[in-house]
Amino acid sequence: MRRRQLTALVRKDLRLELRTRETIVAMVLFAIVMLAILQFGFGTRDDDLTRFTGGLMWVTLAFTAVLGVGRSYVAEREQRVLDGLLVSPVPRVVLLGAKAIAIFLYMTAVEIIVIPLVGIFFVKGPYWDSMGWIAIAALLANLCIALSGTLFSGLALFTRARDLILPVLFLPALVPVVIAGAGATHAVVGGAHDMSEWRGYCLFLAAYAILFALVSIATYDAVFDD
Amino acid sequence: MTDSPARIPGERAAMIWGVLATILVVAATIGVFLVAPEDADQGVIQRIFYFHVAIAITSLVAFAVSCVAGILYLRTRNDRWDDVGEASIRIGLLMSVLVVITGSIWAKASWGTWWVWSDPRLVTYLIVVLIYAAYFVLRSSAEDDRKMRYSAIYAIAGFASVPLSFYSVRVAESFVHPVVFTGSGANMPDSMLIWFVVSQAAMLALFIALLELDLVGRRSERALRRLALRLENA
Repeated sequence: MRRRQLTALVRKDLRLELRTRETIVAMVLFAIVMLAILQFGFGTRDDDLTRFTGGLMWVTLAFTAVLGVGRSYVAEREQRVLDGLLVSPVPRVVLLGAKAIAIFLYMTAVEIIVIPLVGIFFVKGPYWDSMGWIAIAALLANLCIALSGTLFSGLALFTRARDLILPVLFLPALVPVVIAGAGATHAVVGGAHDMSEWRGYCLFLAAYAILFALVSIATYDAVFDD
Repeated sequence: MTDSPARIPGERAAMIWGVLATILVVAATIGVFLVAPEDADQGVIQRIFYFHVAIAITSLVAFAVSCVAGILYLRTRNDRWDDVGEASIRIGLLMSVLVVITGSIWAKASWGTWWVWSDPRLVTYLIVVLIYAAYFVLRSSAEDDRKMRYSAIYAIAGFASVPLSFYSVRVAESFVHPVVFTGSGANMPDSMLIWFVVSQAAMLALFIALLELDLVGRRSERALRRLALRLENA
């Protein structure tokens, strides 16, 4: 029963996105603009930024996540879908799960384009061999972003200045994810191959995801309590 | 009118804790600056440690209290817990700012620069300040019941972020911070430890006194509002 509700909700989000192509396209464009801005912000056009690849990648992805998470409840709010969902006999935790899965898939879709682009733009030296390691770290980070993002966007949803509130709530909580994502990437990019460091950061990301999953499950009933 | 000027509940407790905190803060100040031995390595600046660390620990206690208050609010929906949560975070945030400032002063004296990104704890506290400053932004943009509910949830999520920030910053950087407390005990002589304990007790008492005072303030404000309403209706 719950699984059917969950798949129905996720499919609703994905179908909406496939038809409108609003969120993911905007996220990808935003990420590419960010990468260009970072290049010019950090140095001249000739500077080698290989050393900063992890940071550039995860700063970009963090801001892109804020953009995507901010959009995640827009359809529900504007078309009053949320009212319907809340009176339907769907447990709140299923709503949380469905939204988290949707955000996770959005982020993954964006990264499929952005992570190779980071390599093309910034890395001088080996990059493509480490793609598997970067992908694992990115999937873990997406899990963190999806879980904390769902909780914070739920909180920001009915506040007055919600577009302003979400980044203020969400970004400080994302700092550990950026640190760990950048660290894990840094450990395997540009000729580096520090697997113990990579493993440490990935374990940290897993711990972050578990902790936020617990907090979300414990509090999500109260988010939509009206 | 038969109403006597009733005491606000908690007034006496606030007073007792206030007096206790004052005595302890004075004792700690005297002890730290006049009695405790000077650190052979760092000299006079090391004395900032007694307050810096004590305030840091107390601020974490304050955030823990706010997390517990958040859980209790969500369970009971009693406004009282919302008051406790907000007051704790307000005091905790103030103390975290003090931690960052005293840490920065210490950094200037020890390492010659106001800010060191390689010091994990200083950076963590900056993140903690940002997390809890957002609490008030959230509070100010929601109404009534939602405000209290969201605040409670955020207090819980915020407190979950604290150890994550601590850990993430620590994985990332090499240690430059003086480590005072290790697994095997305190890394200082007893003549220093005693003043640290006094200073820690002073800060905890100060936290409780401020919390009680804040709660008494809220209660008297509500009592006043009720009185004004009654006068209007009369």
